[in-house]
Amino acid sequence: MTGVILTARGDFEARVDLTGVLPGADGGLAKRAIPYGGRVVELGELFDVSGSGAERLTIEGGDARLDGVGAGLSEGEIVVRGDVGARLGHKMSGGMISVKGSAGAYAASEMSGGKIAIGGDAGERLGAAADGSRRGMSGGVVILGGSAGARSAERLRGGVVVIEGDAGEGAASDLIAGTVAVGGRLAGGAGRGMKRGTLFLRSPEGLSGGFRDAGEHDLVLLRVLVRRSAELAAFLGPDITRAHRFAGDLYAGGKGEALVVAPSGRM
Amino acid sequence: MILNGVEIRDSFAEAFPMVGTRLIITADTPRWAMTAAKTMTGFATSVIGCGCEAGVERVVPAEETPDGRPGVAVLIFAMDIKGLKAVVPLRIGQCVLTSPTSACFAGMTGGDTVSIGKALRYFGDGWQIAKNVDGRRIWRIPVMEGEFVCDHESGTVSGVGGGNILILATSRGEALAAAEAAVDAMEKVEGCILPFPGGVVRSGSKVGSKYKGMFASTNNFYCPTLRAQTPTQLPPEVASVMEIVIDGVSPEAVSACTRAGIEAVVALGRAKGVVAIDAGNYGGNLGPFHFKLREIMA
Repeated sequence: MTGVILTARGDFEARVDLTGVLPGADGGLAKRAIPYGGRVVELGELFDVSGSGAERLTIEGGDARLDGVGAGLSEGEIVVRGDVGARLGHKMSGGMISVKGSAGAYAASEMSGGKIAIGGDAGERLGAAADGSRRGMSGGVVILGGSAGARSAERLRGGVVVIEGDAGEGAASDLIAGTVAVGGRLAGGAGRGMKRGTLFLRSPEGLSGGFRDAGEHDLVLLRVLVRRSAELAAFLGPDITRAHRFAGDLYAGGKGEALVVAPSGRM
Repeated sequence: MILNGVEIRDSFAEAFPMVGTRLIITADTPRWAMTAAKTMTGFATSVIGCGCEAGVERVVPAEETPDGRPGVAVLIFAMDIKGLKAVVPLRIGQCVLTSPTSACFAGMTGGDTVSIGKALRYFGDGWQIAKNVDGRRIWRIPVMEGEFVCDHESGTVSGVGGGNILILATSRGEALAAAEAAVDAMEKVEGCILPFPGGVVRSGSKVGSKYKGMFASTNNFYCPTLRAQTPTQLPPEVASVMEIVIDGVSPEAVSACTRAGIEAVVALGRAKGVVAIDAGNYGGNLGPFHFKLREIMA
């Protein structure tokens, strides 16, 4: 079953809000009204809608102006063969989103479940709280193949965010709980105001000044994590046992930690 | 029924419903995993006197444990969920948390839950850390040696307690040798524990006593030295009786364990001094589970 396929009829002249366009939508998807710039149009005006099936929705040839892709998703799968705009998977609670290209700002913001895989980069505030909200992502898994913009995982409340590339300024700031892994470099100010939670890093460079060295340790936790999370196993390596622990942000209670691990997972 | 010269008596073990849980205890080495497991299942032979019945179910290879270290699976049974909820955190807290390099994980899901880290986290005095991964919460409790890691809670199962066999032999040595052979075979059956010392009870009991306040007392009907003074279940050639008590996660597990034990004893046969296999019961009116020896061996 291929599921429903959306293929853009041409270049977009304005931002398209695909919030609510999800797998399982009824056969009237082409007639669905969607915001397009300053007006509202039927989805069929912008996309050729083909295929059938409730399990999967495919967007062929994405575009950085496609906002709200997968926002509110609770089940099923969305595949985007290209880029997406802002709010990818915003408030998503289940299901799977796979984006071959890059995503805009607020991807996975306030997500509570499911999985998002982005092959390229992400804009600012990946997995963070939306404007005016107190809490960011609270559950689920995000895998970013590229680099993230500023303030990724800001106010993260739970779940796992793996950034294979670099993280922009203020990553994991005000983080409440959850796990963030950054494979590349930190731009600075990472973990500022972090209350609890775990940052997995390759280097402590870029951590905010509120972190203090707690030494290198053999942590049973690591062995458990790589056996319960395929994503963390891929990041940490299956044989990891040790990490260098930095506690912080001590200016915000200091119950969080940054665990620095070598790329191979061994230190 | 006679098997290899051993009489399988037309009797049955009368067993009772219990609530149990399985825990996986791991450590840096097999020695310390077993030390923690043996300690936490100690003084847990009879629910009447110990509040629970517990034992080692099996050694778990490192490849199968939640943290990839050597492990031991233990089963703990109590008469009801309230009792189990009380004893499990207490035993983990005193015997596993304290044991070097140990970690403790849920060994089953479903049913009501019993606390592990949910209760023990407070030992961390505010420095404990919870981590939710894959829909499960684990706790890290800082300790002097490093960190104690455990699951939040474990599931439970409606199990069976009090399955048993009695081995009637011509001497104490032969009764013990037969019991050891039975234990070796029965310990290989998953889902069961033999809660008494080394799996064997040499002091089987009957309900009640001539003394006020005693719930149980020596089973004089099977005491070889009393055969001249009380009614006896022992033929003249029997000089010693050993009992093996079985608790299991299901009637099927207890039944399989019973059969494994009897087969091992029968393999020794009359030539090794085993006269008969019997079972303890209370007339069939107290426990809902009846493990009929001849049906099990049919």
